[in-house]
Amino acid sequence: MKAVKGKYFFGGIHPHDCKDLAKSSPLEVMPAPEVVAISTLQSLGKPAVPVVEVGSPVKIGQLIARADGPISSDVFASVSGTVEEIRDSAGANGGPEQFILIRNNHREETAYLPPLSDPSADEIKARIKDAGIVGLGGAGFPAAVKLSPKTPVDTLILNGAECEPYLTCDYRLMLEKTDEIARGARYIAKALGVNNIIIGIEANKPDCIEKFEKYDDIKVVILKKKYPMGGEKQLVYVTTGRKIGLPPKLPADSGVVVQNVATAFAVCEAVENGKPLFERVVTVSGKAVENTKNIVVRLGTKLEDVVNYCGGEKTSPKKVIQGGPMTGLALMNYEAYTHKTTSGILLMTADEAAAEEPTPCLNCGKCADVCPMHLMPMNTAFYAGAGDFGAAAKYGNTLSCIECGACEYICPAKRPLIQAIRRTKAEMRKAGGKK
Amino acid sequence: MDNTVVISTPPHVKSKRTTRGIMADVCIALLPAAIAGIVYFGVMAFVTEIVSVAACVLTEFVYYFIANGGFGKKCKNAGAVCKKWFKQFDLTSVVTGLILALIVPVSVKWYEVLVGAILCIALVKMFFGGTGKNLVNPAAAGRVIMFISFAVSMTAYVAPQFKPVMDDSAVFTGATNLSGFLLTGAGNTVNPLDLFLGTGVAGCIGETCKLAIIIGYLYLCIKKVIKWWQPVLFIAVFGFFAVLLSGFKAEHYTFDFSLFLPHILSGGVMFAAVFMFTDYVTSPKGVIGQLVYYIGGAILLALLRYFTQLEVASFVIMIMNILVPLIDRYCIRKPFGYVKPPKAAKKEGK
Repeated sequence: MKAVKGKYFFGGIHPHDCKDLAKSSPLEVMPAPEVVAISTLQSLGKPAVPVVEVGSPVKIGQLIARADGPISSDVFASVSGTVEEIRDSAGANGGPEQFILIRNNHREETAYLPPLSDPSADEIKARIKDAGIVGLGGAGFPAAVKLSPKTPVDTLILNGAECEPYLTCDYRLMLEKTDEIARGARYIAKALGVNNIIIGIEANKPDCIEKFEKYDDIKVVILKKKYPMGGEKQLVYVTTGRKIGLPPKLPADSGVVVQNVATAFAVCEAVENGKPLFERVVTVSGKAVENTKNIVVRLGTKLEDVVNYCGGEKTSPKKVIQGGPMTGLALMNYEAYTHKTTSGILLMTADEAAAEEPTPCLNCGKCADVCPMHLMPMNTAFYAGAGDFGAAAKYGNTLSCIECGACEYICPAKRPLIQAIRRTKAEMRKAGGKK
Repeated sequence: MDNTVVISTPPHVKSKRTTRGIMADVCIALLPAAIAGIVYFGVMAFVTEIVSVAACVLTEFVYYFIANGGFGKKCKNAGAVCKKWFKQFDLTSVVTGLILALIVPVSVKWYEVLVGAILCIALVKMFFGGTGKNLVNPAAAGRVIMFISFAVSMTAYVAPQFKPVMDDSAVFTGATNLSGFLLTGAGNTVNPLDLFLGTGVAGCIGETCKLAIIIGYLYLCIKKVIKWWQPVLFIAVFGFFAVLLSGFKAEHYTFDFSLFLPHILSGGVMFAAVFMFTDYVTSPKGVIGQLVYYIGGAILLALLRYFTQLEVASFVIMIMNILVPLIDRYCIRKPFGYVKPPKAAKKEGK
């Protein structure tokens, strides 16, 4: 369908997108590494429980850890070989994680699920759950949970905004796997029982917009280039004009379900080829890496292997980031492993990465001006700095924060606002959640 | 990878804008007014500006030096403290000094400016914790201190002469356009163009040439230092109320809107609206609070001007500054997607 323009939302920032670095590198499959270390914590919620033992042989796509409870996802082997070790160690963010180490025997034996032809809604739902598909945009919410909404839903929104600077994995996917994404979206729509499919694409990807315009059943919405356009609440508002209520309200309460384009692609693979989620597209970018690439990486690949595959470091990086530059995780070394949600690996030089010392707050209010959730981050930072987290949550409305990072981006005094917000949220959770 | 990687919470990219950069922009925006002051009032205006800026920066430095232990341990740390000061120096004191120089008349002696500058930085800014912590605008407070301490020279407004050295004979006191005919209800006799350019009108160094102020305003808007609507709102509300009040004064209760332009072009309204009310530190943070602040300030200024017939912008700024924490407390925005809870549900909750 002919593309239409999306609505405007107040707030947001216009960071230099730096997508040119990796934009023109086509998708490339990275050879399976010698050893993979697959974390059992691959989504929001509880970690999965290992079902393999040390020494047991596994094939590609074989279940190695089963989901524990509804908000959790199955984990699959990404190489064929033998389980070498199951070890508890700190994850990249410092929290406890369990890793299943598999040594690759390079035989590439597969154990996929049976492909489905013309599946029913229930079959698709079951397949999405069985393939361990999570939201690949970054949060990693199990996709199957979103497909069983408690309230009636009439619209499926595909998130092709990719508003994070640097990242181009969704862009390449939309360009090269357009058909698969469209088919995946139709499967999701069928599982939900909706006819209305909308895809939101930022205006800086005109080639993707053109490609999706050829489908008659998918409505393309051109989004203004702005961060955080791909935030769930912002995306729903600009594409449909509906506002999602404050937490714990979900998009489904407004009659929509949002899925990332990469998720739609994974759904298509799972339904048509029976392929569980054991690999994903990762953007390797930044000015400190030799070759910027968009590569298909197996789950649990060590970051060092990924960086070496891309030619290693060009210069010594100032920051190494897993994910996007606005919400990603800064790492202290390459001893980390790719997850289902790892959308990018960025090696940033000193002039790209922000590492300034904070200066006193000027009360300029720019953080409030750019906040897409219309919050008052300076109040949160002020009260959190004084240790009064109750007041911080009250006067900053912190619990509605989506942690997009726009406030800290714009802050001329370089105040660590997101840190204050996360601390406040953690303290409030500890205190019992309520204000 | 060597050991120099930095770990922090996201975001990992930040805008290149810094406090120092913003303050440099404010300095640049103040330059037209400063230069116009020198052209209009001669070399003494330049002396006032230099003394004021230097005194502000030096006071800040000395305070910082003492507070950070520059004199401790037989001055061993002196070098390190100086280095630290240069690193954190963010040009805020330059802005304060420049504004203070531009809102006093040229008849003020250099030592009077010195006293005002030192007191406003030390008492109003540094005692409260330095940049970002002051309760009221230091420049406004400095002007108030000088106004009370040196009432004679602070009210001796001078008409511009466009000469490097001013004639003393031209000094006349208390007869700006403001306290003269406008407020007595006799109507305006000065051509608005003269008021706009400041020719033939007595006033302060930087407040006289409105053209220079507007150039500064446009620069600040282009650089997005201030929001364009803030001074406009302030000036419009002020002009409207001043016209209303003049109507009462004239006792024939007709509201003559031809007085609108003379009102907003007289005295320091425009300068205060562009450079002083918009000061980040002492203005509310949210848009709702800012609306309250600018409209409230404009009405208060119109009232005070009407009753006192003096140049009272700095007093109004200080009053509004003190109210800011209160405004901030009650003007909290509702988050995106907030739905007002239905009344029935609220009662049940209670």
